[in-house]
Amino acid sequence: MVGKQGRVTGKIGPGLVGEVMIPVRGGVEAFYAHPSVPDEEFLTGSIVVVVEYFPPRTVYVARALI
Amino acid sequence: MSPEFYIAAGGIVAAAVVIILLFKAVWRVAEPNEALIISGLGARRRGEGVDSLGFKIITGKGAAVLPGFQAARRLRLDTRAANLQVSCVTQQGIPVHIRGVVIYKVGDDLSSIANAARRFLDQQDFMTSAIHELFTGHLRSIIGNLTIEDLILNRERLTSETRASAADEMSKLGLIVDSLQIQEIDDETGYIVNLGKPHAAKVASTARIAQAQRDQEATEAEQIAAANMAAARRDSRIKEASYQAEIDRAQATARQAGPLSEATARQEVVVQETKAAELEAKLAEQRLQSQVRKPADAKAYETVTLSQAERDARIAQAEAEARETELRAAAQASQVKLAAAADAESVRLRGEASGAATKIAGEAEAQAARARGLAQAEAAKALGLAEAEASEAKGLAEAQAIRARAEALKENQEAVIAQQLAERWPEVVEAGAKAFGNVDHMVVLNGAQGVEELLAKALTLGGAGIGLARALLNGATPNGTEPEISSKAP
Repeated sequence: MVGKQGRVTGKIGPGLVGEVMIPVRGGVEAFYAHPSVPDEEFLTGSIVVVVEYFPPRTVYVARALI
Repeated sequence: MSPEFYIAAGGIVAAAVVIILLFKAVWRVAEPNEALIISGLGARRRGEGVDSLGFKIITGKGAAVLPGFQAARRLRLDTRAANLQVSCVTQQGIPVHIRGVVIYKVGDDLSSIANAARRFLDQQDFMTSAIHELFTGHLRSIIGNLTIEDLILNRERLTSETRASAADEMSKLGLIVDSLQIQEIDDETGYIVNLGKPHAAKVASTARIAQAQRDQEATEAEQIAAANMAAARRDSRIKEASYQAEIDRAQATARQAGPLSEATARQEVVVQETKAAELEAKLAEQRLQSQVRKPADAKAYETVTLSQAERDARIAQAEAEARETELRAAAQASQVKLAAAADAESVRLRGEASGAATKIAGEAEAQAARARGLAQAEAAKALGLAEAEASEAKGLAEAQAIRARAEALKENQEAVIAQQLAERWPEVVEAGAKAFGNVDHMVVLNGAQGVEELLAKALTLGGAGIGLARALLNGATPNGTEPEISSKAP
């Protein structure tokens, strides 16, 4: 999981549970997402990279360099 | 073929069939939309440590299940839908009834499948009611913090908050939400309807205004079109009337053409008849003249001529008689005259002879007297003329001199006076020197300078004379003008 890129479908920010769609296991699945750096925000549609994975469905993301 | 062969073949086939049946009984295949949960003997994988699940999860492939030793259950992974019916109260205290749907499924990773299998494997139909309860509870709490305006306008906030609050529970249950849709928001108080009313009224008024404006424009356009139509109709009627008038005029002209031409023709006839009558009258006149007047004239002329001739003849006769008488008288007179002339001639001849003698003597005397008088008169005349010329020349010379002096005076009085003094200078000096002539001994104190001063004083007497003359002149003519001289000047 760590290192994969995904697309934000629900706003990620402090105090929010965001949603990010990540291609995994041959499909695309939704994961609950939190910012890896506190107070960072990701608007819907931006591309992020997974830096930490907490099974089953939670990831911490950072801004992707694309 | 031997019976053993058949037996052997049958045994092989039977064995194969048995093997296949056994395999079918043992081998289980997981469909793409399900997971096989195998528990029992040997389900714990080797080397998985303390937190091993204690069962095997098979997805997308097959596995052998030993009947009697192992149990295999299927967990469906496809989507399920739960209809949500929530009656709750918003932040403003307005009761609303919300209908929605949540579409969820079991997560695809092994931990989610394990969580879901532990909770729902035997109660997969119960899953929907559990989800319903879970989401209605979350929706109540979320809607309680929202206003109706947020509900209507900001659905993203509703879904994101729902996701945030349900995230932990869904993770525990091993489920993921594919979609959460709010389908209807009903309120019994009519708040939403009233909320929309101002906007609806605004839109309606805008629509009415727009409609009225369009209506007005259309009406204006129609009226303009009607006015244009009326104008066009008027123009066409005016043109029709003018054309009709032209037609009428042409028709009248055409109608009058017959009588007019008739009248013209009759006029021509009358004219010709008049001419004919005139000619007849002329003819009659001519005839009258030739038949009546000319003979009458001829007769009158004859009469006049005859009477004139008679008169002339009588006059001639009378003249002839007068002439005869005259001639006779003249003849008598000439006879008397001749006799008288002869007498007169003789007398005259005698008188003439004596007169001629007297005349010759008188003429000689008169000639002599006249010559003497003429000579005397010539002499006297020459003398007078000479005297007159002399006096005239003298007068002219004097007048010239006076005029010259007057002009000189007018130009420079002092110069003239000086000139006159200069002319008399010798006499002046002589008079001054007479004073010295009476002196016997003269002592001069200043020497040569004293003599010079004395002489200078004597000479300045002339200058004093000039000043005196000027004073006199100014006294005589205070303004410096000389009216007498200027009037004398021609």
